[in-house]
Amino acid sequence: MPERLGFFTDTTVCIGCKACEVACKQWNDLPSDGGELRPGASYDHTGELSASTWRHVRFVEMLEPAGGHMPSLPASAGNGHDDVDLVEMAIDGGDRWLFMSDVCKHCTHAGCLDACPTGAIFRSEFGTVVVQADVCNGCGYCIPSCPFGVIDRDQQDGRAAKCTLCYDRLEDGLEPACAKSCPTDSIQFGPYEQLVERARGRVQSLHERGIESAYLYGAADAPGEELAGGLGAFFLLTEPPERYGLPAQADSPLEEGVVPATVAAIAAGLVAAAGVAAAFALPGRPTPAKQLLSRVRGWPR
Amino acid sequence: MMRAVDGGLKGLFVMGQNPAVGSQHSGLQRRALASLDWLVVRDLSELETSSFWRDSPEVRSGELRTEDIQTEVFLMPAASHVEKEGTFTNTQRLLQWRDKALDSPGDARSELWFTHHLGKRVKAHYAGSRRQRDWPIQQLRWELPEEGERREPSAQAVLHEINGFAVEDGEPVGGFTELQNDGSTACGCWIYSGVYADGVNQARRRDPGDMETPGGWVSPEWGWAWPANRRTLYNRASADPSGRPWSERKRYVWWDEDDEKWTGYDVPDFPVDKRPGYEAREDATGMDAISGSDPFIMMADGRGWLYSPSGMLDGPLPTHYEPVESPVENALYPDVGANPTSLTWNRPDNPYNVAGDPRYPLVATSFRLTEQHTAGGMSRNLPWLAELQPEMFAEIDPLLARQRGIEDGGWLTVITERAELEARAKVTDRIRPLKVEGRLLHQVALPWHWGFYGPQPGDSANDLGVLAADPNVSIQESKAFSCDVRAGRKKGS
Repeated sequence: MPERLGFFTDTTVCIGCKACEVACKQWNDLPSDGGELRPGASYDHTGELSASTWRHVRFVEMLEPAGGHMPSLPASAGNGHDDVDLVEMAIDGGDRWLFMSDVCKHCTHAGCLDACPTGAIFRSEFGTVVVQADVCNGCGYCIPSCPFGVIDRDQQDGRAAKCTLCYDRLEDGLEPACAKSCPTDSIQFGPYEQLVERARGRVQSLHERGIESAYLYGAADAPGEELAGGLGAFFLLTEPPERYGLPAQADSPLEEGVVPATVAAIAAGLVAAAGVAAAFALPGRPTPAKQLLSRVRGWPR
Repeated sequence: MMRAVDGGLKGLFVMGQNPAVGSQHSGLQRRALASLDWLVVRDLSELETSSFWRDSPEVRSGELRTEDIQTEVFLMPAASHVEKEGTFTNTQRLLQWRDKALDSPGDARSELWFTHHLGKRVKAHYAGSRRQRDWPIQQLRWELPEEGERREPSAQAVLHEINGFAVEDGEPVGGFTELQNDGSTACGCWIYSGVYADGVNQARRRDPGDMETPGGWVSPEWGWAWPANRRTLYNRASADPSGRPWSERKRYVWWDEDDEKWTGYDVPDFPVDKRPGYEAREDATGMDAISGSDPFIMMADGRGWLYSPSGMLDGPLPTHYEPVESPVENALYPDVGANPTSLTWNRPDNPYNVAGDPRYPLVATSFRLTEQHTAGGMSRNLPWLAELQPEMFAEIDPLLARQRGIEDGGWLTVITERAELEARAKVTDRIRPLKVEGRLLHQVALPWHWGFYGPQPGDSANDLGVLAADPNVSIQESKAFSCDVRAGRKKGS
C-alpha cells in the first residue's frame, strides 16, 4: 500500500487569494454557486464548504490594536457610545486578517465513511476518504456524521460530494490542484508523516520568532487525544480553533458511541424502497457497529 | 479622446482594453466612442467598449439613443495568451517567450495575425495610388513568413526584426553597439537589440543556472533582459568609488585590477575598461565626461539625482500636492492646492468638484480586488472568479454609515459632478476616517472592476472621476477625488 498522503495547511502564510478555491473548482469541474454579496465586513463571499465548494478560504477579521482589546466599530456604534471614543478608536485601531483555506480533513476516524451504508465512501490506497458518486444513493447519512460539517449533498442530483484530495491526480502522480496553485505554499501536500514532521518544525520556528500561539490542529497530538483519530488534512493555527469555525474536539459519531444511522435504520425496519433495501442487504451488514467499522475502514488499522 | 468627443476622430482600434469601464470619467469616454465613425474592438469576449451603443448608462437613461449613434462597431475575437506565441516583458525588463499551447477557437486570432494581415490589405489598397501622401505606405516593408492554414505570421521573425540585422544578408546583430548609421543595418527597437543574438531566441531560454554558486541567483540565462541582458541597471553602483564591492556579501559588479576591466555576476552597466580612477576633464563630452566613479551613465553628469533641474516637469524636488479634487487645503502650500502643472481639461463636459464645495465633503478612492482583474473583461464573465466577488460595493466606515443612515449590505449612492453610482454598502472597520485640520474626513473606497455589460453587471467606479492626469507621463488621477454618499439607490433605478 502506498504511503498515506495529506495536506498541511499553514494559515500563517495564507494571503487569502482564493486561488485554491478556483483551481479546485476548475480541476473537479464544480459549478459556480452564483455568488452573493454577503453582509458584514468580510471579503469572503463563499461562506462555507459545500457539495460544489471543496476548498474555502475563511476570512477572520481580528481587531487587536497593540495596546489591547478594542471593540469592533460596528458593535460599538449601535450601543450609544460617545462619538469621541469611536473617533479615537477609528483612528488608532489596527486590525488584521486571518486566512484559513478550509478543506475536508480526511479523518482517520471518518464519520462520513462510518455512516455510509452503500460503500460509496471508501478509504483509498492513499489513506484519503473519497466519495464514489456513481455508488452514492443520496441517503445523506454521512452529512450529520461529519463533525466538521464538510460533506454536503449536491442540490442538483442529491448525492454526497466533498474533496477527494484530487484522487484522479494522485493516481497520475500529480499533486492536488489546490496545493499546485497555492502561491505561498500555505497548502502543502505530501506523505503524511513527512508533512507532520515539517509542520512540527514550522511550529517550533514560529515559537522561536515570538509567535508562541502557533500550534497544530489535527496532527502531532498525544496518543488518545487525536482529533477524529488524526486528520489527514491538518492545519497550523495561531488562534483557538473556534475562531476559524473549527471544533475544539471532534470524532466520528461511531467513536462517540452514537449508533450509525445505517444500523439504526435497519434495526427500526425502515427499509422501504427496494433499491435502498438492496443497498443495505450487503453480506454481513447488520453487525455491531464496531465490527462493521473495522471492516469498512481500511485505514489505519 | 477629447478630439473624439468633439467629432474630430474618425476611427479607433481598441485591443485588449476596456476604456468604457477602465478609463477615468468613463461616461465621457463612452461619449467619445459614440462620436467615432468606426470602432474596432479586439478582445476575448464582448465587453462594454463594444456594447456601449445599446446598453450604456447613457442609453438606458435616454441621454443617448442607439439610433442616433452612428459609430460602426467591429468586434473581432482575439486569441488568448496561451493561443499565441510571443514575449511577456515584466517590470524588471525581463523578456520571457511563451510558446503557443493550442489553437485559438473559431475566428479568434492573435494581434500579430490581425495587424499583419490588416497591413497587407492597407498596402494592397494604396498600391495604385498616385498621391504623395501614400508613398510611405507603398514603400513600407511588410514581409513576414506565414505559417499554417491560418497564415499566422512568424513571431520569431518579428523578434529577429526587432533585434536588428545586417540588411545585406539578414544576419542578426549581437547587440545595439553593432548597429550602423549608414543603412547597412536595420533594427526595430534598439533597447531590445541582442534578444535574437546568434540567431537564437534568447527570451526563450529557461536555464536558471547553478543557484548554489556565488551570484548564481542572477540567472543570466533565464529569458533576456533589456538592454544587453543586464539584470540591474547602474550596477556599477554596487562597488565603491575605487571599484571594490561595498559589501562582500552583496558583491555584484566590481573592477578586476588584473584583467583591467569591470566584471561580476551581471553584465556591467559601465564602459567595461574605464578605470575607477578615471577623472573626466572639464571640457570632456559624451561618455568621456563621466568619471570612473560615476555609475549613473544615462545622466549628463553620471550622478544619481535627487535634485532634478531638468526632466521632471514638476521638479526639481518632489513635494506634496493635494489631488486635483480635495476637500482640504494643501498644508504645505495653501495658495496652490493641487499640482499646478497637472494636466486638466476645464470644459463643461468635464466638471470639477470645486475645493471646499460643501456638497462633496468625502474622499473617494478606487482600488482593486484580488478576485477580479482590471476592468473585468477577463474575470467578471468567468463564473469561478465572479462568484468570489459577485457585486459592486462601496466600503465605508461605521460612523459615516450611521450619519447617512446607510446599512451594511444595503444600497448607497455615490455622487460627484460627473455621475451618480449605486453600490451595496460594505460597512467595515478597515476604512477609517482621517483626522485632517482637526476634523474627521471620511473615505469611500470603490473597487473599479464592474461595468454595465455581462452576467454580473454593476456601476463603474471610473464613471465618478474627473479627467485629470499627472504632467510627466499622463497617468490618470483616479486614486483620489471628492464625493458625497447617501442611502438608497440612484435615481431611475
